[in-house]
Amino acid sequence: MSHLMNITKKELKEILTPGAVMSIVVVMLMMCCIGVLINGEVSDASKLSSIGIVNGDEEGEYSDLAIEYIKEVYINNGVDGADIDKYVVILDAEYGDNNAIIAEVQEKGLSSAIAFDPDFSEDITAGIAGTIEKYYVYNNGGIFSTTTSAVNEVLIGYVNTYFSNLLIEANVDNPDYSSEFLLNPIDQSVDLTDINGTVYEGITPYQISTTLMGQTMMIPLIIMIIIIMIGSIVISSMGNEKENKTLETLLTLPIKRTTIVAGKLLASALVGLIYGLAYMVGMMFYMGSITSGISGVNLADYGLALDITDWVMLGIMVFLSIMAALGMCMILGAFVKNYKAAQTMTMPISVLAMIPMFVIMFVGWGKLPIIGQIILFIIPFTHPMMAMNNLMFGDMTLVLGGIAYLIIFSLAMIAVTVKIYNSDILLTGLAQTKTVRTFKKIFGGKKHAE
Amino acid sequence: MNMAKALTVTDVHKVYGDREAVKGISFDVEEGEIFGLIGPNGAGKTTTLRMICTLLQITSGTINVCGYDVKEQADDVRKIISYLPEDAGAYKDLTGRSYLKFMAEFFADGEKKDAMVKRGIEIADLGDRIDSKVDTYSKGMMRRLLIARAIMPSPKFAVMDEVTSGLDVLNAYEIREIIRNIAKNGVTVLISSHNMFEVEILCHRIAMINEGKIVLSGTPQELKEKYNASNLEEVFVKAVTQ
Repeated sequence: MSHLMNITKKELKEILTPGAVMSIVVVMLMMCCIGVLINGEVSDASKLSSIGIVNGDEEGEYSDLAIEYIKEVYINNGVDGADIDKYVVILDAEYGDNNAIIAEVQEKGLSSAIAFDPDFSEDITAGIAGTIEKYYVYNNGGIFSTTTSAVNEVLIGYVNTYFSNLLIEANVDNPDYSSEFLLNPIDQSVDLTDINGTVYEGITPYQISTTLMGQTMMIPLIIMIIIIMIGSIVISSMGNEKENKTLETLLTLPIKRTTIVAGKLLASALVGLIYGLAYMVGMMFYMGSITSGISGVNLADYGLALDITDWVMLGIMVFLSIMAALGMCMILGAFVKNYKAAQTMTMPISVLAMIPMFVIMFVGWGKLPIIGQIILFIIPFTHPMMAMNNLMFGDMTLVLGGIAYLIIFSLAMIAVTVKIYNSDILLTGLAQTKTVRTFKKIFGGKKHAE
Repeated sequence: MNMAKALTVTDVHKVYGDREAVKGISFDVEEGEIFGLIGPNGAGKTTTLRMICTLLQITSGTINVCGYDVKEQADDVRKIISYLPEDAGAYKDLTGRSYLKFMAEFFADGEKKDAMVKRGIEIADLGDRIDSKVDTYSKGMMRRLLIARAIMPSPKFAVMDEVTSGLDVLNAYEIREIIRNIAKNGVTVLISSHNMFEVEILCHRIAMINEGKIVLSGTPQELKEKYNASNLEEVFVKAVTQ
């Protein structure tokens, strides 16, 4: 047993380096933060959100009945009766004026509205399904942005059931009312969604989100995979150079240090691109098979498509983020002592690649608090991950800002890498620097470097 | 022997944080000479060699290699030197031949490169094992391959750290022969070693380093006479303990 303990202790000591412990702590903190953010989103999504109502059938009996019933649904779901007008907001916009309705919805901070057709009550009285139109403002968020569609549909579904019960009770023997009408007295087939300032008919946020997810979620996944892959390649390459004792020979060859750095960067970038292409093809088939049955929406019909310029920008961002990742990996790689240590060193890069992927996937940039946006902006891998969405929705400030930041970040990383390659740290490690030696002296007692 | 200086080290210091590893050493090596830097572990030998080869920065002082200042003209220095680190390795996925080809690419093109590789293969003298993967080589074979790599570009100045460390008698003998031959062909060689016997029979002159300082220098014969010792090991012990 003591032998077992002895070996176990030795292994633990080798595996649980300060770098490894730090990585574990960072991963744990990251997961906690994402959990808090997602929890907030789930709470928001599960709340009954406010709804705007345009009553084109002002004199009608059934529209008033429907509005009163909707208010009752809210009160039954925990809304205070005194606050009901904040949840069920009667809009001033004219029925049929789509732009005015959407403008008022946005102005009053709502995300959706319903509008009663002027003939709503008349149609129902005549045994024809009364029309309620649904208005949405598409909010480019994470997975939970699709819930706006669901709230409208659920509410109208309640009204439909309520009216159905009422009509069946009163008119069960009325030959003018068909059974089909009695079961579905509300026609809710008209959907109008504002996308980037244009109102489109026949589409809901749910349909947009599910289709978008199939396309835009692929990019963050692929970027994350590429970054983790190339991170591992570069750092392991440095670990191998040190473990195989080939680095010193390489550094005394008659070539510039920048050439060595560039060669390593180029090879890893090419491998990264090959990985990226392979994963992109695989993911396209995979995501295609998942989403094809959900929604057959062609996003280009709603102005949500990328043109050549957009693809070029996306390509630039992916390339720059790979360069940034490589720069960071070269810096981390400079501090690894061997292949084993290299495996641990890839953790920070993996974590940095995972944070924006999860946040963008579940929460979305727009719903983050300002501090969250700042943190996400600083992480270079965020920019290509959200570029496709931003390009589709025309948020060029974030796209161009991201490109500028990535250029600065990549150049800074490469400059630091070249500086490290020209310094002693590459061979001696951080342990020989004045700061670390002083730190070890203070906190490490007798163990400080001799 | 040509008396021009291939290497001049003047009052060189190397400080790591708050520890001074090299404390103002000065020595020189003449062209075509085999010069030995000897001393105990942690004396500062490898640090000195690394500074000469542009791998570590000099804290203060100057090092001049064949007319080039190491601090100011590092790129020029790297063109004329060849460094063989202690326990150096090669890329394990390559064969001996492809490793030599890879290295030759940095020094020449076309026919010159082919001639360089041919020379490297001759020096390594590994027979048909030159086409085996490097990770199948014994320590002696690996060392011969690396010496071949270091010598094939015909450097003006070769630096070798613990060149025969861990080798058996036969391999160590053969490698010493190779070093003697390259020195005869005009290459200046600076070696570091713990092996006093090796240094005594191989080097024209030596410098002894202890705790970052040069404690003595001269030919093996001069030092033995000065310390009234029968071999360099005795010289070393007397020099360090006095």
